[in-house]
Amino acid sequence: MKKSVAVLLVVAFVALSVLSLSRVASAEEIKMVGVITKIDIAGKDAKTATATLKDNKTEKLVVITINDDLTLDKFKDHRIVEGDEIRCKYEVIDGKNVSKLFRKTAGC
Amino acid sequence: MKQMVTITSTLLALLCAAGVWGAEHPGKSEIEKNGYKGPATCEECHPGTAKTFLDTVHWKHASKVDNVSNLDSKKEYGMKNRIYTMCNGNDIVNNLKEIPKNAEGKSKFTGCNTCHPGNHVSDVGSTGPEAQNAIDCLVCHSTDYDFRQRKPFKNAQGQVVMGQDRSTKAALAIAKPTVKNCMVCHEAAGGGVLVKRGFVFTKETDAHAAKGMVCVDCHKAKNHKIPTGFDPNNWANDGVRVACTDCHGDKPHKGLSAVYNNHTAKIACQTCHIPRTGGAVAKDFTVWEKGGDGFYEPTTLKQEANATVPVYAWYNKTVRNDQHFIGPNGSRKDGKSKIYPFKIFLGKAFYDQKTGKLLSMDFAPPMANGNTRAGVESAARTLGMKDPAAVAKNAVPGWQTIYFGSNHLVTKSKALNCVNCHGVNGVFNFRDLGYSDAEIKKLTNPELYFKQLIEKQKEEW
Repeated sequence: MKKSVAVLLVVAFVALSVLSLSRVASAEEIKMVGVITKIDIAGKDAKTATATLKDNKTEKLVVITINDDLTLDKFKDHRIVEGDEIRCKYEVIDGKNVSKLFRKTAGC
Repeated sequence: MKQMVTITSTLLALLCAAGVWGAEHPGKSEIEKNGYKGPATCEECHPGTAKTFLDTVHWKHASKVDNVSNLDSKKEYGMKNRIYTMCNGNDIVNNLKEIPKNAEGKSKFTGCNTCHPGNHVSDVGSTGPEAQNAIDCLVCHSTDYDFRQRKPFKNAQGQVVMGQDRSTKAALAIAKPTVKNCMVCHEAAGGGVLVKRGFVFTKETDAHAAKGMVCVDCHKAKNHKIPTGFDPNNWANDGVRVACTDCHGDKPHKGLSAVYNNHTAKIACQTCHIPRTGGAVAKDFTVWEKGGDGFYEPTTLKQEANATVPVYAWYNKTVRNDQHFIGPNGSRKDGKSKIYPFKIFLGKAFYDQKTGKLLSMDFAPPMANGNTRAGVESAARTLGMKDPAAVAKNAVPGWQTIYFGSNHLVTKSKALNCVNCHGVNGVFNFRDLGYSDAEIKKLTNPELYFKQLIEKQKEEW
């Protein structure tokens, strides 16, 4: 009995460790620079939007979810538009690439 | 007297309750009825304002400067004509234009004066009725501006014109400038977001923003003349200044913190309350890097807001301006200086082989193909220098150090306390600040602050 409890505890510990590690791994910040090919935002009151970036290095299309007010505002008044090159940091959360930094590379 | 105070207070309370302050801008029905016709519409209620605006730094990108060495007191200086290594170009040599095609056959419009609130045909420092009519009032005053309209294009005459949103919709959203209105230009200065100034003005990064304040609450304009501080690198000014003490006074600390008031004569508020800086720390204009879009940009070492620590120096609000250094004058003994925090930036650019003077650059050639000496040659030609090709060919790369004032990212909760400065490994380099070994020993002894901080510790815990 004692032995099976100990085994169960070890299994539970290992499972928890794997789960927590995989959560850390999925929350890793990924950096990319790419050009916006598409912006999807639902109206002026939208609290979220997606932007598709074409990665400069890999040429792959990456869909980024944007939730921060500053960037959403820039989509709404078109300070950021399709064709702009963006420096982006994102984390994969629940299967979505959630933006942590989304800035135009160009300046004045 | 008491009765007058009561009446005034009641009236103020009623005005506030009625929403007079912060209410929507009057004249909405007129704009709806007649549409927006540019500054002429604004002038119906604000006569003379457009003409006045043409005499401000925001329009002229320059002013006379009286606190910087090696300048001609009769001339005006600013981003219109300055040559330094944060930008290296200026409105004159890097005028808004369509650049040559890059290797991929693409071109684009670029220039330092893209942020000028005119239409480029009426450009930096222009005057007269045409210039007055070209002012883009709404880019600063509308909260519903469509930035797709504010793009450069070529008109039928081949002139490069900066578009404007003059829609009735944008005009109906006029108000006191918001943080966004200011940041449209100011956050992207110096070649990218947070490159030059290195601060974001949000509730997370600034104590004033956290209280709901906006830029113009401190930089409160009068006749469009906007007060600025004494950033050693920000020369042009409207002749009006802003300082922390305007609102906070020179004895702002209360209770157990009142002891800090002993410091205010020699330590600027920013020194304790702005312990971090950010933005670009170095740039190389002699080598440009190709971006994913096929265009080149100066090689820039960037840092986030709050990512770097400042350097502290005595500053008497006058500036030493040499070819390889722009920074504060001051000493602990001149009776005028205080210790201020600065962001130090180093920029590499080309210097004239003959005169040793810093050269400027037209960004169009290097942006298209990375040829930085072609940019120097074009700028030398624009400025009327003798033999521009030779100037560019013989130009010598060199570094310039610039001290930027650190005046935003204000914190109360993370302000420096006694230990941060007076600890043995504190943020101050007392030796560089002019103190002797004996003085440093005294200044870094806990005797100075021990009792004070123990009391504060008790209060906090």
